[in-house]
Amino acid sequence: MRVTLISIPVRDQEKALKFYTEKLGFIKKKDVPLEGGNRWLTLVSKESQDGPELLLEPAPNHFEPSKVFQDALMDAGIPYTQFDVEDVQNEYDRLTNLGVVFSIKPTEMGTVKIAVFNDTCGNNIQLVEEL
Amino acid sequence: MTHYETEIKRIRKKIYSNQGQIDTVIGVRNYIDNNYDINLNLDFLSHLRYVSKYHLLRLFKRYYGQTPKQYLTDVRIKKSKECLKSGMKVTETCFAVGFESLSSFSTLFKNRNGLTPREFQKRAIFEK
Repeated sequence: MRVTLISIPVRDQEKALKFYTEKLGFIKKKDVPLEGGNRWLTLVSKESQDGPELLLEPAPNHFEPSKVFQDALMDAGIPYTQFDVEDVQNEYDRLTNLGVVFSIKPTEMGTVKIAVFNDTCGNNIQLVEEL
Repeated sequence: MTHYETEIKRIRKKIYSNQGQIDTVIGVRNYIDNNYDINLNLDFLSHLRYVSKYHLLRLFKRYYGQTPKQYLTDVRIKKSKECLKSGMKVTETCFAVGFESLSSFSTLFKNRNGLTPREFQKRAIFEK
């Protein structure tokens, strides 16, 4: 058994694709049309293109409990998932310049530094740097 | 303030209040990151930070969730992949990242990645 895919619920796949590629720097890997305008849309990290894929999944539009869960996490400021970066402060500066909104600025938590931003698709995402 | 921010502050105060311990483990981790290619052991690492080796072992595992030796192995395997992708020979890679035996490197590499170093290199070059 291997981990090859993680999914993120998004409200608008096209908007998410633009945000995750143009601002965060991910690369589109698979884009398969499905029924009803939905897509099997996956991304990979630029630094690890043979690594796990990130599925931008339109679940909140089709399954109410997914929307309720996503909204509850957003309201509480809780990240849906997290991405590793080399330098949280650099990413914070770069993304802030691109208009990305952070709810938590770079903050040290023991042996890690974290920051949390809004992905504009219904999720808080945490950046993590191991110190 | 969001619920998450409140929790972060609470947890930081409760779990990460001992800055001395944090500085110790971060120092050791940084040392491993910069010196993975030499012969490192717990005795040496503990002397660096003036702590007993058992204390360092406990602290490192508490803050990073793995032992210094496990972390060192992870770093060496990660670096070996970079070397192999750049075209360095397997034997050269083995010693360049600090392993002392080609057979133990190859076995460990295959256990971790499902491919021998040579197979990994062939695939990496083919996919370029």
